[in-house]
Amino acid sequence: MIQFFQVTKRYPGGQTALDRVSFEIARGQFIFLTGASGAGKTSLLRLIFREDVPSEGQILVNGRNVSSIPASKIPYLRRTIGVVFQDFRLIPRKTVFENVTYLPRILGADVKAQKKLAYHALRRVGLAHRVNAFPLELSGGEQQRVAIARALINEPEILIADEPTGNLDPDLSWEILRLFLEVNLRGTTVLLATHDRDMIHRVGRRVLTLDAGRLVGDQELPGTDPPRLEAPPPPAADGEIETPTDAGGSLGEGEPE
Amino acid sequence: MSLLKALRYFFHEAVVNLARGWKVSLLAILTITVSLLVGGAFLLVSRNLLASVERWRGETRVVVYLQPETAPDAMRRLAEEAARAPWAAKVDIVTAEAARRRFQDSFPSLSDLVAGLGDEPLPASLEIALRDPGRRPPELRAWLETWRRRPEVSMVDDDREWLRQIETVATLLRGVGLALAGGLLAAAIFTTASVIRLTAYLHHDEIAVLRLVGATEFYIRGPFYAEGFVQGLAGGLVASGALWAAYALLRLREPGTLLESLLAAHFLSPAQIAVLVLFGGAAGLTGAVMSLRRESL
Repeated sequence: MIQFFQVTKRYPGGQTALDRVSFEIARGQFIFLTGASGAGKTSLLRLIFREDVPSEGQILVNGRNVSSIPASKIPYLRRTIGVVFQDFRLIPRKTVFENVTYLPRILGADVKAQKKLAYHALRRVGLAHRVNAFPLELSGGEQQRVAIARALINEPEILIADEPTGNLDPDLSWEILRLFLEVNLRGTTVLLATHDRDMIHRVGRRVLTLDAGRLVGDQELPGTDPPRLEAPPPPAADGEIETPTDAGGSLGEGEPE
Repeated sequence: MSLLKALRYFFHEAVVNLARGWKVSLLAILTITVSLLVGGAFLLVSRNLLASVERWRGETRVVVYLQPETAPDAMRRLAEEAARAPWAAKVDIVTAEAARRRFQDSFPSLSDLVAGLGDEPLPASLEIALRDPGRRPPELRAWLETWRRRPEVSMVDDDREWLRQIETVATLLRGVGLALAGGLLAAAIFTTASVIRLTAYLHHDEIAVLRLVGATEFYIRGPFYAEGFVQGLAGGLVASGALWAAYALLRLREPGTLLESLLAAHFLSPAQIAVLVLFGGAAGLTGAVMSLRRESL
């Protein structure tokens, strides 16, 4: 699903963010990406959704070399990847509904389909009742859940999260982490960057460790206190816009450039 | 997403953005309005002047002013001679007395002025209507030259000359107006570009999200292009409305006057108004494209 081959990322100032990093993530895996601040976690994630390009090496996502994708095709790659950030990146002047339905709108879904998708995505994160609220009316945990709903609305193949619990207290962090684990239960590949080692040890799963841009660890941890996960709600079905998988990875390519 | 759906989304977002930032949008609309108003006003004035010239061209005559001592017999003889010329359609003798009466009828307020001058202050003349008023072949000009040199003649006035001068003035006015409007339009485009850039800056958070979830550049930039276009169209519409208001006011306040016939006999044609409005739209769109051309947003 995601393959890194000897990937190096150097910034114009000469700083090396990633140094010959190689690994492979299979479809449906849940991966923790960890390391101290400045270890290269964010740089690595940015390369996957083509926010940046590697200085050397190759990155394959779903078999496609992302660094050679032409600029005009990058949006189609991004529609298959959900991304969640530490700072939520919600638009304060838009309602929760408007915040989570950006992708369906881009794809030309009508309002009815948008509402259905928003309802399903928000129900998954437990916020279906706050659809008309504005982000600033929500708590930090709720805002992060809205951001997750936005990332999940189109059933992405990959979910990337960059320190999603960094701004939250431990209880809320645990709640958010459960969400990611539940998303993973439904088959979505999840790559979660965090420096919270307690959380990682408690949950277990495969852990990639970066140190000064180098991959220094790739191990499977058993987990000391893994959460009991509830069966996920059924996926949004009939009458909705096609998913990236349905469209063979070329979702919305009929859209005018 | 179909093109139609995309356009509907662009214009919806544009209207929302215009309403949200109406103060800066108003600035852009007003600068476009002013530039189009200036251009349109010069166009309207030159159009009316040229229409007047065209109307007068059909009525032009050659007027041969005679020396004061020319006797009535000599006047008749000269008129008969002029009438024999192949380009003369008709020759009228205007005696000094008839010239004075005509002056007094045309300018009643100055009537006393000529009455107090004693004798007949205005010269007698021959008014020669031409068969083809629009043309001045070299033979005709040579013929007029011979008349200018005759001892009975004090002056030969060819209307065409001042018509040509008015025509030149009208053309000049149009040129100056277009140049001025062009300069103002450049300023308007710059203002629109600044407003659009500001709007894009205010939406940078949303643009980042759009890019993150997979929006194309067309989808991201479309609303800003639509906003510039709408601002320009609005400027064009306001300018057309203001021009019409000025035209209507002039016709209302100066009915039947020379000023009205010179400046407000006709309004711009529907095609010209459409061009003015679309020109505004094009100016706004140009500003938007310019503002975002080098922006990575």
